[in-house]
Amino acid sequence: MSEPFDIAIIGGGIMGCATALRLADGGMAPIVIEQGDIGRGASSANAGTLSLQIKRVKLMPYALRGHALWESFGQAVGFRKTGGYTLAFTAQEAELLLERQRLKADAGAPIRFISPPEVRTAEPGLTERIAAASFCPADGFANSLLTGRFYRTRLGEAGIPYRTGSPVRAISRDKTFAITTPGEIITARRVLLATGGWLQSTARLLGVDVPVRTRINTVSVTERAPPLLSSQVGHATGLLTLKQKDNGTVLIGGGWQGHPNKEPSHTSMGRVNADTLRTNLALARYALPGLDQTRLLRSWTGFEGHTPDFYPLAGALPGVKDGFVLGCVRGGYTIGPYMGQLMGDFILGREPEMPLFDPARTFMQDSSL
Amino acid sequence: MPPNKSLFLRSTITHADVAIIGAGPAGGHAALCAAENGLSVALIDEQPEPGGQVWRQTSAAILAAPPTPESQAGKALAAALARYGATITHHADARVWQIERIDDDASNRKSSNKKPGNRKLWQLEIAAQEPHTVQARALIVATGAYEYVQPFEGWTIPGVIGLAGATALLKQDLLVPEGDIVVAGTGPLVFYVAAEIDRLGGRLAAIMTVNSRKDWLGALPAMMGRTDLLRRGLGWLTRLRRVPIHWRTAITRAHAHDNHLDALEYRALNGAGTPHGGTHKIKAAMLCIGHGLIPDTRAAQLAGLNLSYAPALGGWVPDLDPDGAPAIEGLFVCGDGRGIRGVAAAVLDGQRAGLQATAFMRADSQATQAAQAALVRPYARAARFGQAMTALSSLPAGLAAITTPQTIVCRCESLTRQDIQDEIDTRAHTHQAIKAGQRAGMGPCGGRFCHKVIGQILKACTGTTSPPPPARPPLRPIPLTTLAPEPARYEDLPLGKPTPL
Amino acid sequence: MNKAIITRTPKVTIYLDQTPIPAHEGERVLTALLRAGIWHLRDAPSDGAPRGGFCCMGVCQECLVCVQDQHHKTCIESCRLTAYDGLEMTSLKIYAS
Repeated sequence: MSEPFDIAIIGGGIMGCATALRLADGGMAPIVIEQGDIGRGASSANAGTLSLQIKRVKLMPYALRGHALWESFGQAVGFRKTGGYTLAFTAQEAELLLERQRLKADAGAPIRFISPPEVRTAEPGLTERIAAASFCPADGFANSLLTGRFYRTRLGEAGIPYRTGSPVRAISRDKTFAITTPGEIITARRVLLATGGWLQSTARLLGVDVPVRTRINTVSVTERAPPLLSSQVGHATGLLTLKQKDNGTVLIGGGWQGHPNKEPSHTSMGRVNADTLRTNLALARYALPGLDQTRLLRSWTGFEGHTPDFYPLAGALPGVKDGFVLGCVRGGYTIGPYMGQLMGDFILGREPEMPLFDPARTFMQDSSL
Repeated sequence: MPPNKSLFLRSTITHADVAIIGAGPAGGHAALCAAENGLSVALIDEQPEPGGQVWRQTSAAILAAPPTPESQAGKALAAALARYGATITHHADARVWQIERIDDDASNRKSSNKKPGNRKLWQLEIAAQEPHTVQARALIVATGAYEYVQPFEGWTIPGVIGLAGATALLKQDLLVPEGDIVVAGTGPLVFYVAAEIDRLGGRLAAIMTVNSRKDWLGALPAMMGRTDLLRRGLGWLTRLRRVPIHWRTAITRAHAHDNHLDALEYRALNGAGTPHGGTHKIKAAMLCIGHGLIPDTRAAQLAGLNLSYAPALGGWVPDLDPDGAPAIEGLFVCGDGRGIRGVAAAVLDGQRAGLQATAFMRADSQATQAAQAALVRPYARAARFGQAMTALSSLPAGLAAITTPQTIVCRCESLTRQDIQDEIDTRAHTHQAIKAGQRAGMGPCGGRFCHKVIGQILKACTGTTSPPPPARPPLRPIPLTTLAPEPARYEDLPLGKPTPL
Repeated sequence: MNKAIITRTPKVTIYLDQTPIPAHEGERVLTALLRAGIWHLRDAPSDGAPRGGFCCMGVCQECLVCVQDQHHKTCIESCRLTAYDGLEMTSLKIYAS
């Protein structure tokens, strides 16, 4: 048997790859084991939104650093800093917007409130029926479809081996971890579980129960349209994201829930629900009336694992020596590259720049849910 | 959330025992068979009249025209469906854009109802003049096929159309455009299209077929079972005796003048189907070209079926038991959509699916066994002929050489063979990875016209066979105004709880 | 040549980018356009190259034209659009620029 790897990272999404890169940088020899393609799960099925306005208050310091990383990735990930507007259409929503964005601004996001006429001057395509709005110049988006190529290339440059099409069937622990995939058994001194929405079933392979559920987020894209929008746009409730890509297609998101799959495939955990899709699209049409002239090309479901308190799992895997877990980062697309760095430092035995999120904590149900 | 509010955006729902997608030979006969057995049927089809592509009916603009075997078969099917007007609802000009498997709340409340499959419903979202939803216990997918054209330089020029596309023009509006026409490609469709163009008064400059005379001789044994069709084929050749026929020849490039097709280059092919020898040129205003059919599996995929690779059946086909029985309860697939076997086989396969759906609805696997058994031999015979034609229509391996590095392979995104190879060079080794990196297959055709050639390139570069990307709704591009009705008041939008702070 | 005898509905006029085009009422718009020798219907968004009807059965999306109904302007495949008198359409050639 060949020399074991220093660490096997199960899950080749943003979190797993970013951690692998940090570890290799710190002198470790990692391997990434991915059931599908690199960066082709939740990491690319999301809408690519990089908006500080929709990040959770407590995660804002992480989001700011994650955002800076995406900016540094630049063209390779299609980064665009467009500025972003969050809109309220009723008095009730305006109140919600005011309360929420004030807290986020206090947490460090450069968010300010602007008048509806100002919004319409900047974005004449938006509805006239805006009650209140906030603006964040740092907001923008990247092309989440490029995640796979980006991390494939980075792993290659760093000389980090990876396996694709390699779902992990079993993990056993003797002196080292032995990880069984259909093609081979890979041995490693440490293991990091970074399997996103699949964390619960992966952790069970080591006899650990992590309290992870999965949200099935619907994302849609129109065919190419004339210019309708130049900024990232969101909604006071967080139930809508809108952006027009350089090629003219409009991406519509907002976390509307699809049907969970009974047996998740390696590319998807759910299916589109026509009822929630209709509401999502109706809200999008309301915000951006020009969408009435477009056709919908495709809807699909992204997905994100979450814990009962909607905060990440990032740290030692409870009860498993040399086992680690990273996932359930709400806003994981934005924050993921930074969480990977923190996680890498933790595994290297360094003090992470920001605190991690102990997976062994007692989970409080988020009272607002 | 009040229940009436959550239902606000929901469209009208109609119910049927069985929903059938596609009213061609397979779907149409599945509908007739199900109706004969007492089932109510929702028959949903994109076209204004039943018949599918092969029995496509003439448009409303044609008041009178000499009948053809196809038009007569289509009329007969339409008449038969009309006789069952009380039980078969034909949703014409209607597009299924989403298929969901949902719990049947009404049936679950009735504890006495223990029939298998009765707990679940198929829910189909329909885009039509009046968007609506169809719910049914059984679903028959009969979506047929579409055409493959091996990309060559200039195939995107206006004036180049598919062979099957030409049949649509010829059958529906009996149209033959002005100017010199070249008909090219593989299989019997080349000669059918050429003969129809000639019959309707078009100007045929040449026929160029990838097949050799020897290919046809090789298919003779399988054709002997259908001497009627053999005779018809010979009739086409008689009609076309004055038209130059270039055997074992392929179009290798199209040239435009003033944004329209002007001339074609063609070359002879060697035994492997690779162009060799000198390049010749011919003037043409229209090229009809096709290299076989591809099963349209998107609806079956959306319903939950995986695909397997079956080159003899036209490529990727839904995973089914050998008798076509469902891998998912209450789901049946029939006709060319589960492998290209031709129209005669599709009719029988449709009847088989109708019988299986009947047995499913009666929760009695024996119910239609005898009738199904009676179809086995005729189906095998018809499929033998159909698959011989599929073999003649399939692409010789060497013909992939006509797709040069500069050739556009993804029409929607104007991506060349080189673009795809460049992505593969970044270690993108699956369809999904290529799609993500280059947008190949993300355009409005949904990857239907590029997934086969991308599969070829992937195979050539990496040796791997990768299934086409999963199907996503909507199955066709649909206007947002059709998908999501505008609420009368903003407050009527059933928005849920805000996301966590 | 034994051209088949075919009777069609009377001719009406449809308009593409304000150009009048004769069409038989009830036929598909693509048919009328091809009869009139109009093959170039749109420009490919990525490279601006000319495109026109290809599959003629509603799959390839190459023959799209825009029509304005009571409320909205939408794109539709001209191979699925029925011709009626006074039908006005705009082509998708403009996106090329």
